[in-house]
Amino acid sequence: MSHSLPAYRPFELGADDLREAVMRYATNPLYLDNDEWLNDDNPYRRQLRPQVLRHLDFSTPPARADILNYPSLAAQRLLTAIYEADLVFLPKSGLGDRAEDFKNFYSPGNRALGETIRPALERYAFGFLDEEVDVSGKWTKDTFLAYLESLEPTMTGGPSKTAQAILSSTDRERAARMWLIQLAPDFLSEASPMIRNVLGHYGQPQSEWFKIIIDEYGYGVHETKHSRLFERTLESAGLRSDLHRYWQYYLNSSLLLNNWFHYLGKNHELFFRYLGALFYTESSLVDWCRHAVDTLTEIFGDQVDVTYFTEHVHIDQHHGRMALEKLLLPIVEEHGEGVIPEMVRGIEEYRALLTVADDDFSAQIAWMDGQPEYNKLHAPVYEAITSGRVKPPLADIVEPFGELSNTHCHDGDELCHIVSGTMKFVSGFDSHLILEAGEGVVIQKNRLHGAIIESEECVYQIYSVGDYTSCLS
Amino acid sequence: MLVVTFSATGAGNCVEVAGTPYVYARTRRDGSDGFVMGARCPHRGGPLHLASVSEDGARLVCPWHGGRVSLARLRRQVPAVRRGDTVTAVFAVPADTEATVRHVPVSDALCAAPPVRVRGLPEPADTAAAPKAAAGTAG
Repeated sequence: MSHSLPAYRPFELGADDLREAVMRYATNPLYLDNDEWLNDDNPYRRQLRPQVLRHLDFSTPPARADILNYPSLAAQRLLTAIYEADLVFLPKSGLGDRAEDFKNFYSPGNRALGETIRPALERYAFGFLDEEVDVSGKWTKDTFLAYLESLEPTMTGGPSKTAQAILSSTDRERAARMWLIQLAPDFLSEASPMIRNVLGHYGQPQSEWFKIIIDEYGYGVHETKHSRLFERTLESAGLRSDLHRYWQYYLNSSLLLNNWFHYLGKNHELFFRYLGALFYTESSLVDWCRHAVDTLTEIFGDQVDVTYFTEHVHIDQHHGRMALEKLLLPIVEEHGEGVIPEMVRGIEEYRALLTVADDDFSAQIAWMDGQPEYNKLHAPVYEAITSGRVKPPLADIVEPFGELSNTHCHDGDELCHIVSGTMKFVSGFDSHLILEAGEGVVIQKNRLHGAIIESEECVYQIYSVGDYTSCLS
Repeated sequence: MLVVTFSATGAGNCVEVAGTPYVYARTRRDGSDGFVMGARCPHRGGPLHLASVSEDGARLVCPWHGGRVSLARLRRQVPAVRRGDTVTAVFAVPADTEATVRHVPVSDALCAAPPVRVRGLPEPADTAAAPKAAAGTAG
């Protein structure tokens, strides 16, 4: 009688199985399109646009140049829903008629389906970082300390590209609100990814990390919990604070940044990478929060509650030092210098993602501010098409009154041309054009947008022009 | 310790520290082994940045006299991290040591393409089925 076992096969889904599993997860009624732009105090509803997912291939990660394309946005939305099934959310106004959604979201079936596709989605979403960052050579504690010291100038300095985009926007209040919306997925469940790292049992550093979390959670006094402070910031800036109310306005990079921390926290083989990210985050937040206070106060005046940010200006001076002296260095002492490259990688991956987020947000504000220009560009681009100078692929679409195209983006420039009816074209929070028959808009590659039909019916055309500037010569 | 930032490729791809030039190199076809190496052959000071890789993939071969230098040793030499095209390297010399950045040519063998795909994943399936405007209807 043979006792031989089959060879161990690590779990992996092929492209077809992955697509089927993604569809099975995302066709849950919780994840279907919304008829409204906002989710109304329902933390379980997240629009994943399953009707499009069947056409996407998540089996091969995109190159760095393609990470703001639609499949990446779709992957980030999926991952946010999957990661957050580990967290507890309740509606602010009580469970009420959302009890079924609550049960569904946290059901073993939904969670199991999400976990099935998570590894492949993580490879898709974060695989580009393998190309973006590599760490080499033999690192010692001394070389690590010298490297950390050299980072000092990168953690201080002037306002970020994001702050500059807000302050130079043609509608600064709108831009600032759009920015606060981008922070909400992280700040309303602040420190939750981090808490994944204090479960288990690993000695003194675990208790040191717990001290940082105690600060984040306001020492058990709810009004000082950081997420509560951020709720007050949102509310004082004219926004609501129910979770994922503004889901459709999250940019790809905002979800990417938040999901990356969940990715590191969920996969404990990346524990040391998270430690590097923790150090850089806590150390760089001091200046970042200082600029946030200046930016928000300049735009909204004294009415805006910036306690969230002033609290971090203070506490993160301690957290940066605590992370280094009480966590990173003792862990290097205890587990050897071989863990340093992962810490370095965590720092540099985070820096890379900050650049992605800064660029993405700035481009979105320019896109929102530039709507009148993109509206005017319709005429010459449409003329290039009707004259036969360019022959882009065309989609003819007819939609009824009230049809809402949940927000998305495209992988190349497109021209939207209205044949008949009226469309409200939405290019970001509180940013829209009304398009009538004969009018249209150039839709810029990678820019978040959606639309709703405001006439009994709307007939329109989408031309996939690729690069709209090629139509202007 | 001296920490220097320079380019992985193109102008400014070489930093000279204490008389030794260093470049960022990748020798594996999938580009997975980026590292910072001294660009001077220990034999007679030949231009190691123009080296080829030995048949067994374990050594660099200097173009001057065919001197062979262990890649494993080179890879351990300088602790470094690359983010995009920016390399940060730590050198075991006093922090006030002068460092100058310049350009040197690098052989094809040391410029393997970076990994654009995660290794070990299946090839993409046919995606031609995606319809026009698959990312959405309106707009």
